[in-house]
Amino acid sequence: MTYSITRRGLSRALVLAAGFAALGGGAALAAGEKIAVITPYLSQPGTQFYVEAFQARAKELGWEVNVIDTQGDVAAVISRMEDVVAQGVNGIVINVDPSQIGAGLDAAAAANIPVVGMDAGADPRIKANVTSNGYEMAAVTSVYIANRIGGAGGVVMFTFDAFPPVQVRGVIADAVFKNYPDIKVLDRITPDVSDGGIADSRAKMEALLAANPEPGSIKAVWAAWDQPALGALQAIEAAGRQNEGIVITGIDANPQARDAIAAGGNFEASVAQDFTGIGSTAADTMARVLGGEVLKANVIYVPTQLVTSVNAK
Amino acid sequence: MVRFLRHYGTLMGMAAIVLVFWALLPQTFMTARNWLNITQQVSMLTVVAVAMTVVMVVGDFDLSVGSMASLAGIVAAVLFTLGFSVPAAVAVALVVGLVGGVINGVLVSVIGILPFVATLATLTMYSGAAFILSGGKTIFGRDIPQSFGDFAKSGLSLGSLADKPVVLPWLTVLALALTGAVFVVLELSTYGRRLYAIGGNAEAARLAGVRVTWLRLTAYGFTGVGAAVAGLMYASRVASANPTQGEGLMLNAIAAVFLGMTLTRHGQPRVLASVLGVLVLGVMDNGLTQLQVDSYVREVLVGLIILLAVSISALGRKAIGRR
Repeated sequence: MTYSITRRGLSRALVLAAGFAALGGGAALAAGEKIAVITPYLSQPGTQFYVEAFQARAKELGWEVNVIDTQGDVAAVISRMEDVVAQGVNGIVINVDPSQIGAGLDAAAAANIPVVGMDAGADPRIKANVTSNGYEMAAVTSVYIANRIGGAGGVVMFTFDAFPPVQVRGVIADAVFKNYPDIKVLDRITPDVSDGGIADSRAKMEALLAANPEPGSIKAVWAAWDQPALGALQAIEAAGRQNEGIVITGIDANPQARDAIAAGGNFEASVAQDFTGIGSTAADTMARVLGGEVLKANVIYVPTQLVTSVNAK
Repeated sequence: MVRFLRHYGTLMGMAAIVLVFWALLPQTFMTARNWLNITQQVSMLTVVAVAMTVVMVVGDFDLSVGSMASLAGIVAAVLFTLGFSVPAAVAVALVVGLVGGVINGVLVSVIGILPFVATLATLTMYSGAAFILSGGKTIFGRDIPQSFGDFAKSGLSLGSLADKPVVLPWLTVLALALTGAVFVVLELSTYGRRLYAIGGNAEAARLAGVRVTWLRLTAYGFTGVGAAVAGLMYASRVASANPTQGEGLMLNAIAAVFLGMTLTRHGQPRVLASVLGVLVLGVMDNGLTQLQVDSYVREVLVGLIILLAVSISALGRKAIGRR
């Protein structure tokens, strides 16, 4: 019972605070706002980083943040969105593909409650989606390879065009390598990812190494994400060709990739998304929306970082 | 007093939950719109729980409903990508549900495997089949026909309230219709009475000439189809299909039926009691979210309420038995 009394006291205080904030006008508007963060993926490491960063920034802004984890249940995201709309929150943050939660976005739109996405995907009903730029990440690693091999030689590409966020990476690498007349793309491989992507990439790379036995015939391996890069590394080491100077790059900088890069072998570079930056930028973006600003761009990119042996650990 | 608690304890508990939320959320909880929301949110669970009630009446249960729900959604979505029409894809998904249910029925009733073991095995098989068909991917976006996703977003117009249209969601309508159908089957037909007879004493029922094997088998047909319907409702609500999306339904459905059983006179599973059980779970989710209670605390509370309800019911029965 004491619980319910404090709860009621708390909500009264909040109502008062909201009233004062409204009286105070623009500057004080953001303080005391109720923001709901709804995610089905809280247990995934990237999500945890940006949710924690969001909470930290929200605390500075004086917001009351309610993080709701539906544990993989996307329909429950819609249900919880409807609940917080009924509760009358000031803003909602999501990190699930908007096409899967149309009913929840409709409910928020009908109540004029702004929705901001964290790595979610673009949708007209989302004020802005804060994420990393896949084009940029691919540009960084493909240019790294072009520079390392002096703009000449055979390059193997690992891509996955069926998944849009990875497809955009391949497009950029294609363009960069095409821009160097002496770079020859030996093969553009789509690995089977049902086993995680490492094993099949390794098998495909072993076949390519067998087909190109001359040292120096393969100068580099560009992978659209880390798993094929790790598979290619295993294949090169197993074939005893780790001293030919084959340069490998990945994208995402997952822990396994960081270990490989730090070891100083053929796997030389990857790109890390700034999850913390995504979280705090999402909070800042929500603050701008609540402040009445109309955002021109509905996708906001947070800069990514090249990871090499210098900063892999 | 004991008898009173035993019969009405759960019901009073349910009323107390509603009253507490009403008091703490005076503006937003007890509104028509919020309750329409809740009915839509629990519609899928209702269908699974009502279907689960049928096998639990016989004294069996079905662990495979969650993965069957996922499988049905995936089957429909894969057929959409192959250019099948919505009715055709839905029909095939329902047939898959019926076949999956009958397989469970054969394993339990004809071969005689314990329901826990048989349906645990089919749980992983149906889940694996969903992964194989989908390649482990979520099927969404343009692959899902607009009309299929729109079904879960629309409903029966009930006029308007405060200038906003009030709509009874189709998902709610569907759940109500299926609940009504299962109610007729279980409560008003000889088929249903025979199922209760088997649940009371299978041997006595057999000696009385009830075809126990056949009836237990057919009961699983209900859970299979119910799970498939719920899976399709889920897929429509999220306009996508994922090989794991039905997982949460199984334990919640069993929890709802157990909660409902504490309401009934002899602790039997009853359709309307199961629906009340589902509503308690749905109201808890809705109210605690609005109160901004941490989602993990919410899960602990839901478990506690189930334990409390079942404990009161068990203690009550014991006390009555002693006299």
